[in-house]
Amino acid sequence: MKSRIFSLAIYLAATLSGMMVLLYPFFLPVLSNRAGYGTFRAGEMPAMMTLLLGLCLVVLIIEAQGKLMNTKLIALLGVLVAINSALRFIETAIPGPGGFTPIFFLIILVGYAFGGRIGFLMGAFTMFVSALVTGGVGPWLPGQMFTAGWVGMSAIFLKLFIEPLMLRMKQKNTTGINPEILALAIYGLLWGFLYGAIMNLWQWPFIMGVQGQSWQVGLGFTETIRHYLAYYLVTSLIWDTIAAIGNLLLILAFGAATLKALRRFKKRFVFNYIPEAEPISKTMHEEFSG
Amino acid sequence: MKQPWAWVAWLVAVLVLLSITRNPLYLVIILLCIFIVGFSLRESGSGLLRPFSLWKFALWILAFTTVFNALTSHYGQTVLFTIPGNLPLLSGDVTLEAMVYGATNGLILIGMLASFMVLSLALPVRDLINLIPRPFFPVAVVTSIAVTYLPTTLRQFQQIREAQAIRGHQMRTLRDWLPLLMPLLVGGLEHAMQLAEAMTARGFASTNSVAGGRQVLPRVFLLFGVVMLAIGWIYNLSVNQTMGWIIIAAGVVLITIGLWQEGKQSHRTTYHRRTWGWQDILTLIVTLCILAIFLLPIPGLNRSSLYYDPYPKLSSPSFSPILGLAMLGLLTPGYFVLSRNHPGDKYSNAEKRILNGNPRL
Repeated sequence: MKSRIFSLAIYLAATLSGMMVLLYPFFLPVLSNRAGYGTFRAGEMPAMMTLLLGLCLVVLIIEAQGKLMNTKLIALLGVLVAINSALRFIETAIPGPGGFTPIFFLIILVGYAFGGRIGFLMGAFTMFVSALVTGGVGPWLPGQMFTAGWVGMSAIFLKLFIEPLMLRMKQKNTTGINPEILALAIYGLLWGFLYGAIMNLWQWPFIMGVQGQSWQVGLGFTETIRHYLAYYLVTSLIWDTIAAIGNLLLILAFGAATLKALRRFKKRFVFNYIPEAEPISKTMHEEFSG
Repeated sequence: MKQPWAWVAWLVAVLVLLSITRNPLYLVIILLCIFIVGFSLRESGSGLLRPFSLWKFALWILAFTTVFNALTSHYGQTVLFTIPGNLPLLSGDVTLEAMVYGATNGLILIGMLASFMVLSLALPVRDLINLIPRPFFPVAVVTSIAVTYLPTTLRQFQQIREAQAIRGHQMRTLRDWLPLLMPLLVGGLEHAMQLAEAMTARGFASTNSVAGGRQVLPRVFLLFGVVMLAIGWIYNLSVNQTMGWIIIAAGVVLITIGLWQEGKQSHRTTYHRRTWGWQDILTLIVTLCILAIFLLPIPGLNRSSLYYDPYPKLSSPSFSPILGLAMLGLLTPGYFVLSRNHPGDKYSNAEKRILNGNPRL
């Protein structure tokens, strides 16, 4: 119980700290009206963000890998990461339209089927391994690993809504489109936009753009959001729309079959053999008495 | 030069230089150094080759950042032309200053990307995985499995594609990918099962030191470390910059202690440890000197030329020969690699003995 509370506290603290590092342009005006930020600190801020986000990621990984000392889970994760990295490798060699990428489909389904911890590691290490083999290692990697980890980790929350819905459908004996796949597809669609929006925060405060789109010191919270939305609409919306629609279509087309295969293997992978211990005193008593 | 940490030191020096200067003259020198080192590794580099051309990618980045900034940022006094109308983002003056600023951003991005590419060209993936610190032992194993299994996966994908094509399978719609994806996934998962059984049979994670329960103390350090990072970040941005740095440093120390404690629980055996050769030590010394010149307060050394802003009116960037010369120190690993590639050193001593018909052990 104590271990679970610790786990939860570390996950929350590292996730919130990581979010704070990325979202500082929005809350800074609330905290301070001091001038001198923004492009003035453009030299040090990216390095500082990389450092802090990297440290939050390190803590999350250490906590998530805690119970990984199980050969089945290690092998499962290694092979799934390899398959997903192969998909990214193929995508790098033969680029798809816009921001289309096939990797999030598997990250979401693995997170949903195997749980948040495996989902987080799947997302983070898909980015890491594919960056190693495609030469994509750079200061942006901690941010990519963090965000892709969130994609996998948060997929488990869908169960809170889907399971009661599935139960109700079963009771009413209704047939039609699988709500599970539909919910996962919508989730993939949303993350298609969110992933791009989060990764944009990496450079947005340091870009000198037109008035009304760039980050400026002294703007209020609402105005900062408005500027960011304008910047996002102009620079990223089309790219991310293709990514989001790609996620939606991939989950609708392959989701049911993939989920079925993952669940079949989950029964084989996620079990632990614990030999039933005989009460020693009784056995010894029988030996001595017999 | 085979010591991974010497290469990491070189990479750190490159990244620090790229992040502290916006002077295009210095950026060009840094880029030249990176490309020369990368070029020297083309023949002898033991790392992976990239699936795309760096030159094309670099040109694309440079063109994109220059054009994007020129079209979206309408600051500057040297107006090249004006985009008429009320087009959102685009309408307004296109200035030379905005183009130079965008190109500078592009040079920094290219430098970062190219330096990491040089590292992955210089070191084989197993050396990169060996750099993963001891506390991350389980995820290092996961990474190792994934990197090893990746070529097999690509080969398997090709085989499945060919097998399906022989059966007359045609790729018309998105759903036609399913007969390719499912055998790949199921085959991979079966392989994972076999791998897990093999690992268990060899006693992986069977000892108490590895599979034993987790200690609480390291996690306490990690938790408080992360909390300190968050507090320090807010302090740094809003209240007091110096105090913020101190709190962040305290958080980093706590996390380091936590990681060290975690690392003590796992034991790792290295069969082939990379040794430090004189070339590695010299590279490390040169990179440390470069970092000292650019970061430490040295009396009489003027670093103002590192900063360059093309706005509001474009001016020629200043240049300090001492700083330019110091940057050339980044060529050190390239020099060692090229001297190793010398025709006289094509074969190792053992290989020379075998070629001479004297395979003495």
